Amino acid sequence: MIPQKHLEMVRMGLRSLVGYPMRTVLTMLGVVFGVGSVIAMLALGAGAERELLQEIGRLGIQNIIINSIKPEEPKDAAQRSNWISSYGITFKDHRQIVDTIPGIERALPVHVSKKTVWHGSRRVEATLYAVTPEHLDMFDLNTSFGRNLTHLDDVKLSRVCVIRSGMLKELGIYQDPIGFPLNIDNETFYVVGVLAEDSFLGYARKALSVDAKSSEIYVPYSSILMRHGTRSITRRSGSTEATDVELNQVVISVTDLDQVLVTARMLGTLLERNHPNKDYELVVPLEVLSQRQKTQQVFNIALVAIASISLLVGGIGIANIMLATVTERTKEIGVRRALGARRHHIIAQFLTETITISTIGGAIGVLVGVGLVQVLTFFTGWSAAITLSSVILSLSISMAVGIISGIYPARRAAGLDPIAALRHE
Amino acid sequence: MKAPVISLQGVHKYYGEQEPRLHVLKGIDLDVAEGEYVSITGTSGSGKSTLLNLLGCLDNTSDGAYLLNGRDVSSFSDDELSKIRNEDIGFIFQSFNLIPQLTVFENVQVPLLYGPRSIAATTHLCHEVIESVGLSDRSEHLPSELSGGECQRVAIARALINDPALLLADEPTGNLDTGTSEEVLTLIDELHQQGRSVVMITHDPEVANRSQRRVDLRDGVIVEAGAA
Ligand SMILES: Nc1ncnc2c1ncn2[C@@H]1O[C@H](COP(=O)(O)OP(=O)(O)OP(=O)(O)O)[C@@H](O)[C@H]1O
Ligand SMILES: [Mg+2]
Repeated sequence: MIPQKHLEMVRMGLRSLVGYPMRTVLTMLGVVFGVGSVIAMLALGAGAERELLQEIGRLGIQNIIINSIKPEEPKDAAQRSNWISSYGITFKDHRQIVDTIPGIERALPVHVSKKTVWHGSRRVEATLYAVTPEHLDMFDLNTSFGRNLTHLDDVKLSRVCVIRSGMLKELGIYQDPIGFPLNIDNETFYVVGVLAEDSFLGYARKALSVDAKSSEIYVPYSSILMRHGTRSITRRSGSTEATDVELNQVVISVTDLDQVLVTARMLGTLLERNHPNKDYELVVPLEVLSQRQKTQQVFNIALVAIASISLLVGGIGIANIMLATVTERTKEIGVRRALGARRHHIIAQFLTETITISTIGGAIGVLVGVGLVQVLTFFTGWSAAITLSSVILSLSISMAVGIISGIYPARRAAGLDPIAALRHE
Repeated sequence: MKAPVISLQGVHKYYGEQEPRLHVLKGIDLDVAEGEYVSITGTSGSGKSTLLNLLGCLDNTSDGAYLLNGRDVSSFSDDELSKIRNEDIGFIFQSFNLIPQLTVFENVQVPLLYGPRSIAATTHLCHEVIESVGLSDRSEHLPSELSGGECQRVAIARALINDPALLLADEPTGNLDTGTSEEVLTLIDELHQQGRSVVMITHDPEVANRSQRRVDLRDGVIVEAGAA
């Protein structure tokens, strides 16, 4: 048949939809909300997945991070003030790792300590990260002002630091911060760079043991180690607590992505042997990522399944109304048959109507879904991403709903005996 | 004599599946020649509409043969019967049977949707046919906005759109008053004069008198067939 004739049929089909606007709208509602929720669910799923990738991807999927953890204190610890508690990864571990485990590109040492930082009379409680210059590159810690730490700083044991921009305000620095002196433990460190304000997100922050306020100061590893060693002393009311952690963190990067999990297993075995008291933690971003992705997938499927149920209900709604319409329009069907309509014309007519209803409903549903996502993200702060594929998917689903829900009523209409239909009042 | 357009031979029609079935047509023999104008009269329930539905290929005979233009209708498929209704037959009903949500113009267009001709090529034709029944200025109106006589004229325009050789009318003036009946009957007369065969049911003897031949149906048999 000529397409234009189809268009004419669609146009006349629309006439009967427009003729009963209330019924048409009510029929559409099921599909509108079904598609709306599919869009919203997929968007939230995609948003969560994107956030996950950002968060964990930031750690570098080729990296393995070992953190030292303070083991549970023995019961009599309270009595033993002035006790030096020493735990965690040692230089010996580090050497063993580098010497015995194959495929390691580098194993960067990190020493972390809590410090009070002074600038004039202003002070900030900060976390001092003694890191090698590669560390900043590895985690995309780029400076927005000044420069990064260099090897020369490390060799010369320079007293320089790179700080978070958030600290500038707290320290009362409003001018160009480069070259400003900061007093840390009665020593003066000079600011050489300010990090771009791009803090780590939840998971990455935890994995790298970065504090929540992002008051981080990065200083050359050797400068700290050579001057202060690994002990740190904290004075609390009445007692002094001393800790000795040789390496708070070791960031290992593996040459070959395929070997990450194997290397992680070897690291685990080595550390387990050296540290039966479990005063360390092994973070494998790649493993976490695939675990989380799996969970996310299951979650997505569940979300879409729930949303599909509302689409199904929408489809049943259309089928139901169309069946009623067929009964109501039996006479019209008889007239059309008397005027020469074949069975397939009648089927086409009713399918056109259901597909039109469901597709328009689907299109409105997409808008509703987009709106729903806006509202949800606004009020909950969840991240969401509306993808083109989710729009195409839900539009095709709604079209399919139109076809499926229309088939039975349409076939019933076409199966009517022309003369019986014509006599129907 | 020309070959008949319609030829019924010993036609019976029963209604119902199980015994006792309702025996409505009890052996009808009827020929309608090309260009002939036949009226069918008879009491209510005598089987007039049943007969006309058979002629219109809307229903099947229970027994006997129906030859339309010399071809046995019982051998045709559902689609072929639809094609015959679309191209060869024009129906006019007592209750007009217009589609309420469509305009006059669209109602007239409906048979074209099911035929081979394109819509664009026939727009002009639709206007022409609507004009021939005197409703040019009402093309965009809905049936609910028209009088009974106007509705019947739309129905006639619709019956004519595919230029069928045979018109079947089931009490076309049954729902109309005398004045409008006259208009509609005049229109049918003209269509007959243009060479179409017409079979019309009526129970008004005066209306029947306008035809060339009257067929009187009583209790399922033809009791009288004569010139009007
Ligand atoms: N589909 C059907 N099923 C059963 N019986 C039917 C059916 N159609 C018609 N009848 C019966 O067949 C008989 C003839 O009906 P038909 O409609 O042909 O009469 P009619 O002559 O047109 O009457 P009227 O002048 O009242 O229109 C009636 O008794 C009617 O009840
Ligand atoms: Mg009748």
